[in-house]
Amino acid sequence: MTGAALTPGLTPATEAPRAFALPIQVVEANGITAWLVEDHAVPVVSLAWSWRGGAALDPQGEEGAAAMAAALLTEGAGPLRADAFADALRDEAISLSFGADRDNFEGGFRALADALPEAVRLARLAMTAPRLDEDAVERVRARAVASARRALETPRGQAGRGFWARAYPEHPAGRPSSGTAESLTALPAAAIRGAIGRQMRREGLLVCAAGAIGPEALRALIGEVFAGLPEGAPPAPAALPGFRGFGQQVIPVASPQSAVVFGQEGLPAEDPDWEATQVMLRILAGGGFASRLMHAVREQRGLAYGIGAGLDVMFRRGVIVGSVATENARVAETLSVTRDEWRRMAEQGPTDAEREDAVAYLTGSLPLQFADSRRVADSLLTLRQNGRPVDWLAGRAARLRALSTADLTRAAGRVLRADGLSVVVAGQPVGL
Amino acid sequence: MPRVTRRTAIASAAALPAALSLTPGSGLAAPAVQPAPEDRAKLAGDRPLFGAVTWTLPNGLRVVFAESRRVPVVGHYLFYAAGSGEDPGGRSGAAHFFEHMMFKGSRNVPPGQLSLVVAREGGQDNAFTSRDVTAYHQTVEASRLPLVMRMEADRFAGPLIPPDTVEPERQVVLEERRQRTDSNPRARFWEAFEAALWGPQHWRGRPIIGWEEEIRAITRQDLLDFYAQRYAPANAILVVTGDAREAEVRRLAEELYGGVPSRAVTPRDRGAPAPQPAEARLIRHDPAVREASFLRAAMAPSLTFGDRQQAWALEALSHLLGGGQGSRMHKALVETGLATSANASYDGEAVGATAFTLSATPRPGVEPARLEAAVDAVVDRLLQDGPTEAELARAQRQITAGALLALDGIGAAPRMLGSALASGLPLETVEFWPRHLRAVTLPQVAAAARAVLGGAPATTGWLLPEGAPVPERRT
Repeated sequence: MTGAALTPGLTPATEAPRAFALPIQVVEANGITAWLVEDHAVPVVSLAWSWRGGAALDPQGEEGAAAMAAALLTEGAGPLRADAFADALRDEAISLSFGADRDNFEGGFRALADALPEAVRLARLAMTAPRLDEDAVERVRARAVASARRALETPRGQAGRGFWARAYPEHPAGRPSSGTAESLTALPAAAIRGAIGRQMRREGLLVCAAGAIGPEALRALIGEVFAGLPEGAPPAPAALPGFRGFGQQVIPVASPQSAVVFGQEGLPAEDPDWEATQVMLRILAGGGFASRLMHAVREQRGLAYGIGAGLDVMFRRGVIVGSVATENARVAETLSVTRDEWRRMAEQGPTDAEREDAVAYLTGSLPLQFADSRRVADSLLTLRQNGRPVDWLAGRAARLRALSTADLTRAAGRVLRADGLSVVVAGQPVGL
Repeated sequence: MPRVTRRTAIASAAALPAALSLTPGSGLAAPAVQPAPEDRAKLAGDRPLFGAVTWTLPNGLRVVFAESRRVPVVGHYLFYAAGSGEDPGGRSGAAHFFEHMMFKGSRNVPPGQLSLVVAREGGQDNAFTSRDVTAYHQTVEASRLPLVMRMEADRFAGPLIPPDTVEPERQVVLEERRQRTDSNPRARFWEAFEAALWGPQHWRGRPIIGWEEEIRAITRQDLLDFYAQRYAPANAILVVTGDAREAEVRRLAEELYGGVPSRAVTPRDRGAPAPQPAEARLIRHDPAVREASFLRAAMAPSLTFGDRQQAWALEALSHLLGGGQGSRMHKALVETGLATSANASYDGEAVGATAFTLSATPRPGVEPARLEAAVDAVVDRLLQDGPTEAELARAQRQITAGALLALDGIGAAPRMLGSALASGLPLETVEFWPRHLRAVTLPQVAAAARAVLGGAPATTGWLLPEGAPVPERRT
């Protein structure tokens, strides 16, 4: 399909790309294991770290406690009130921030090498001596409530909320990780302190670094940033139950266009078919213009600006989730085309040419994903959150090339459920 | 979120705000290595940030090259000095629609193949249309540069615009409009607000994606005309960055782009704004809205229009007035409990007139009129007493502190270089921007504040939940 259709002048390059290598050093300090990609080309250092937990540790009724805690860590710490803390960061262009997603609590900064001592001081203060001044709590609360309310102003926001609530009705994964307007309004300051106490621990910590720093300096840095944390590890979050299929649901929203979120159960990160599933899903739904869904929905029928689906990973499990938005009158057709493509892939798998194209992209694009220090540190952290060994990336291209079309077809047959696709439509769809 | 300048956005997220993409698309004990002297010089604005070189081909195409060997990757960007500001009258959305059609094949590349070939080679490709520029770009492993240059040059010289692809693609564009604007109450309001300030048919007041009826009215001939008038070598900037050598880029540019025939260019016509806003006050109630929003925008000079010297001063002003914590608006509106957020924004890197914008969200229970009066008070005090030396120094420090971060990644250099040059600004504006910002003086900031906030045509807008009382106009 590609290549052959081109004139000789446009034949794809035959020269092999230079081999991609991302040397990862493993650095031990203070009982913490860090992964490091050292690169002195630009005087910038990025550090990323996380613990399991995040919103999954918020008690019932205290949804948003971890997210509020994350926001408040940089709103004043130690001797610095919120405005002084913000100035200290911005005077040196340090981008220190924390966040609580569904299953992790993350922290990270990027700083120029010159500003590294200040970044370290502020990161340590934020984690060990957050002030939680009352005025800061109320400011952050007002901001969080406003943003929770705004998130529901669009069909897309409504559809996303509805999808997760139905798929995981009895687990924190089904709740909005940053809380609801109601839970945030009622959240006592003690709940925020509770979230910090549960999460800010010396154990269970994953640390990754990238940029202009060597292993010795990183060892010292880790000591300074994390040594002041209390002993122990955060509690384990409740295990993720299976995806609860719910068929097709409509949330009425006055809008000329419906937002659709669709998905189904996926597979655990350690499943032997994980990478086969990644490649198969790229062919079906994840490859921009290269995917079957994009071709069928946008290119052939002009039904939508874009459509895509892929593995949304949490609790070391990939859930298959996709989205599309289309005029109310064309929702039924869009869903029908999507289900047909889903079924065709489940029953027949991909072609050899599709597999070759997808593998060529996934192996060839590796260098593009590691071009800035923040992405390097964040990507390493994701690998570790999913329990990957340190040589996982180095072996990825060879593993992908070793996959056969039969491997992808088997994975498609195992994983995809055209009739079990759960769908939320927010809008005023016609004929559903 | 404050609307940030292109430079800030690019350095932090490698994204260009206010532009539409083709596809949706996201006390150290042992001192670390200290920046080399040349890095300090870049930070200070004494040395060029990217060290780009530039030359012009005989057909008029300007080429910019900035080498970086950090990763074996190159960025290849072709910018055209034409954006939605060049849409013909009654045909808003033409520049953006045409951008979509550039993916429908060219003489030697079948429809849709460019993206597939790039993907097969492990690369990424996309395009975007802003008010000032349209850009097509690929990021690929370094050895694939000739391939993407060949394909881009091919569609530069002769896009097919197949007649049978125009209608399906119009449907895609209309869905894009519904997704971005029509199904988002804040986007709907923003669009109406810009039209209220500049006028719905002024080049600055029309949406980049176009008014729905005008997207429906665009013909294939309109698209061909747009190409004929704007897509000429002398109206384009080719930017190559990353792991390549200058001699090789010179050779490839000449070989692959040198054959695109030279053509006459229709110059931009960025008419001056009207002396009055189309509507001075815009109140919208929207049933989908749950949180009220306040906007005020004043017409302002840019680096290419009006008193150009004021552009850098206005950037400093926006930081000290509403650039987050520590700014006057944050202290007077957020810290006092009147607002959940309050910001000022200004982007001087624009072709023609631009806007200086204030925005705020009242806290629940705070009457919109009370918040608006508090905004007025902040502005009045600033105009009366002027900013302080300490405020300006802090703004200059904080805006420039992260300049070097643009080197940490592969997207910032080509976007900053290409958009500035295609907007008619000299290379020096990008390479030495911290120096310009640091040279701003206190009297310049005070004068720029008076000129823009103290009398320039402006529109005030409120987006309100259904049924909320209309804030009284200030007397």
